[in-house]
Amino acid sequence: MTVEAPIKIGEPVLRWSARAHSIAEIESELARIWSGQDLTATIDGEPGRHIPARTSVMNLVVVARRPELAERCAATMQLLTGRHPSRTIVINSADPDGPSWFNARVEAHCIVPREDAPETCAETIHVTCGGEAGLHLAAIATPLIVHDLPVTVWWPGEPPLMTRSARDLLDGADRLIVDGSSWTGDGLARLREMARLVETSDLAVSDFALARQSRWREAIASIFDDQDFLPYLRSLRRIAVTYSTHDETGAPGSTNLVKPVYHVGWLASRLGLSVHKPLAPVTGHGHGHGHGAARAARSVMSRGVAATLSDGRGEVAVVVRPVASQTPAGTTLRVELLAERRGSELRADVTAEAETVHVRVWQDGVEAMERHFRAPRRTEVELLAEAIESGRRDPVAVGALRSAAAIIGPAGSGA
Amino acid sequence: MAVTRQPKRAATPKVKDPAPLVAPPDQPIPAQPAPRPKDAPKTMKELRLARAGKRASRAKPATNVLRDGLRLARIPDPSILVLFGATGDLAHRKVLPALYHLWRTDLLPHEFRVLAIGRRPFDDETFRADVKASLEKFSRLLPLDTAAWRSFQERITYQHLDFEDPAGFDSLATRLETIDQEHGTRGNRLFYLATQPSQFADLVGQLGRVGLDHERLESGWRRIVIEKPFGHDLDSAKRLNREVGKVFRESQVYRIDHYLGKETVRNLLVFRFGNGIFEPLWNRRYVDHVQITVAESIGIENRGAFYEQTGASRDVLQNHLLQLVCLIAMEPPATFEANALRDEKVKVLRAISSDPLDPATDAVRGQYGPGWVAATQVPGYRKEAEVDPASETETFVAARLTIDDWRWSGVPFYVRTGKRLPKRATEIAIQYREVPHRLFKEEGIAPDANLLAIRIQPDEGIMLRFGAKVPGLQLDVRAVTMDFTYGSAFNVDSPDAYETLILDALQGDASLFTRADEVEEAWGIVDPIISAWADSPPPDFPNYDAGTWGPEAADDLPVRDGRRWRRF
Repeated sequence: MTVEAPIKIGEPVLRWSARAHSIAEIESELARIWSGQDLTATIDGEPGRHIPARTSVMNLVVVARRPELAERCAATMQLLTGRHPSRTIVINSADPDGPSWFNARVEAHCIVPREDAPETCAETIHVTCGGEAGLHLAAIATPLIVHDLPVTVWWPGEPPLMTRSARDLLDGADRLIVDGSSWTGDGLARLREMARLVETSDLAVSDFALARQSRWREAIASIFDDQDFLPYLRSLRRIAVTYSTHDETGAPGSTNLVKPVYHVGWLASRLGLSVHKPLAPVTGHGHGHGHGAARAARSVMSRGVAATLSDGRGEVAVVVRPVASQTPAGTTLRVELLAERRGSELRADVTAEAETVHVRVWQDGVEAMERHFRAPRRTEVELLAEAIESGRRDPVAVGALRSAAAIIGPAGSGA
Repeated sequence: MAVTRQPKRAATPKVKDPAPLVAPPDQPIPAQPAPRPKDAPKTMKELRLARAGKRASRAKPATNVLRDGLRLARIPDPSILVLFGATGDLAHRKVLPALYHLWRTDLLPHEFRVLAIGRRPFDDETFRADVKASLEKFSRLLPLDTAAWRSFQERITYQHLDFEDPAGFDSLATRLETIDQEHGTRGNRLFYLATQPSQFADLVGQLGRVGLDHERLESGWRRIVIEKPFGHDLDSAKRLNREVGKVFRESQVYRIDHYLGKETVRNLLVFRFGNGIFEPLWNRRYVDHVQITVAESIGIENRGAFYEQTGASRDVLQNHLLQLVCLIAMEPPATFEANALRDEKVKVLRAISSDPLDPATDAVRGQYGPGWVAATQVPGYRKEAEVDPASETETFVAARLTIDDWRWSGVPFYVRTGKRLPKRATEIAIQYREVPHRLFKEEGIAPDANLLAIRIQPDEGIMLRFGAKVPGLQLDVRAVTMDFTYGSAFNVDSPDAYETLILDALQGDASLFTRADEVEEAWGIVDPIISAWADSPPPDFPNYDAGTWGPEAADDLPVRDGRRWRRF
């Protein structure tokens, strides 16, 4: 049915809403939206003209396993202002062991992006289902997808990537959007699974955890824009990434490591580094060189995990270590690089300070460069907008993921 | 006593029994040795590898592989933007809002400073207040972001400078060095000339005199942005290029034609060279003719004095229109690199000028009289402020261009631009040929030839017209359109052209800027028309009413060839 709502420039308004209890009913409601005469508006002074659907661009399937997650996703999508996909299907499946049931709400949200722009609409289908019906995600999404348009699956929370249900859904998708930094534990097992998915399919992957660090990558890359420092790039000998933990021991597995490991994965993939020894917990004494009680107190904190990479000429030591901090757990706090070339040494220290990334470089012990990069924390809305408008596979993301998985090592290895 | 270090010289190798320059009379003259191939082995190692079937690998120039594939726009190096003419209209309407937006979206380096140069006796605070007022008027996103503005304004300083006072430039050089030391801008400077064109040469000369052009080792880069018009005619353009060239190398010079920074103009390149289906149809075999219209409904907007000196030919034809012709007609460049792109554009301009325009038959000028535009009565050009009541300046120009190359031979390009036309519209129309054999010949059902229209403003988009059968038992064919509108596909705001171009200049990417030879070639096309018109005053000015599509003679340009202008 038509919803009377005043038009506000730049804000999507609900123009159509209907209920359905089957896929067939949803299809029929969708047809009514666009073929009926109900959804009309005065455009260019011409009354009763049909509102066009958005010209392009894609289907978005959101798999939200919990109602609160579905609500959060819906709220995020509302804020996409003007970047809505043509059709969004939000699937919220619950109670897999109960009886099968299926409910849906079909909506059309319309937006006038600017005073002088035409109003366009996008459809949202909220599906809530339970029992066996909710286990077959592909059976719900596939018939509702606008064919010939790309399909992006946004899977907040913990996507069970290796399950049959997920594989079936992702077989028909072009892109998967996840947030690796929200995964439980250290998140590395799921990162490995995602790498395997990318290796065995054409799926493009957008991970908010990787996207959030784009300004870090820019800052690190900027060091080697300097022609004096560029030759050191191929002579890295050490990569150290420090991340925040809320766990007082910082023990491996207690904090999500996806973001810090992505840093190493990105550097390794760009520099063509191979894995000599995958990540494993650093054994031995904790930090500090004191004695007695002071040393015992300091050595409680884990020394993190370490790996050894190789550039064909020498080894590159990698250490990913925790530091107790108030910042969200798993956040990268510092990336240190050490490169040695013909008896000369280059040290780079990249740190986060509030909303700034600070780069300092020393050449043979002399400070040679200092720069700041503004890096405000990107919201989920911004990340989602970027992800759904991405084209094909991003080679940087694929490379970083592939290398990160290699650095983590096979299942059952140390990390 | 100063000791000058002599450069090391390589020791001259001793040569055993050098071959005699002249052969002894009893011996045959040795054959001239064959010229050495460029890739012939030069060292023993190369020779050994060559014999073993291998080639010594040449050291590739190192590149920063960490840059590869980064999706974010690269943050430019720490730098100072030195804005000459900072109190002027252009600076306040375009340059400063663009800088603010770049700053707001985190695209400028933290170590960035704007040194605003002007003649007015402002201090930093009054100038910043002035900038804020302008942003509140001209920013494309309002209200202003308070936090972004606060941090941006801290980076703006004002320096009073009389351009005719050489000492002022000495103190400018000192001030820039101080800013470098205090704010870590590392000697990188972008000089932006947003002044009267007549001041360009003097400003450049002064910058050279105090050494601000020099890119010394480890002293940072120096670039200069020059706003159009680049000269008043071919001679003055050459003169300006020569003066600029005395101080700056061409690679340091960024000539802005803001049209090239517009999102839809940039999309022309993507449309042509990023899609496989159009390029095979982009030639004389399929295209009947091309029309480019840059129509403005506004008048001269209090710029009477400026417009009297320029007119439509200099203001739009010589730059915007010819740039659009270049982008439509150019061959695919080998790379998307600045010089590759500009080389191809220059070839188009040369191909146009190889058959010079006949001002009497290939070009039409016009000047608007009073009339009605958008339901408002407007005065004629000669009644505008700062305009000579007997002005002979043209406010409309139309031309028929031919491009004498393999691709476009025989395909006319009709271009037109004017003030006080019925509506604002910039569009490129590719009119395809009729089908070779008319299957549907009957009166009323013969379909129109296909048309591809690329709208640049307003409603940026692309429209393809083709024939379709009208549903029913009868065979009726009607023209229908497939219409792509940017606004409905990408509902996000595009950056302003100045944002794109300033960021490019800070990053050292000259792809969207005009090269010296390009400017001169474009003047070479327009100059004969302007000269001929200067020699023969227009007998019928004003010759079109405001709110109409220009003088009747303009309609005749395509009509003589059996074609007509597109109706908007």
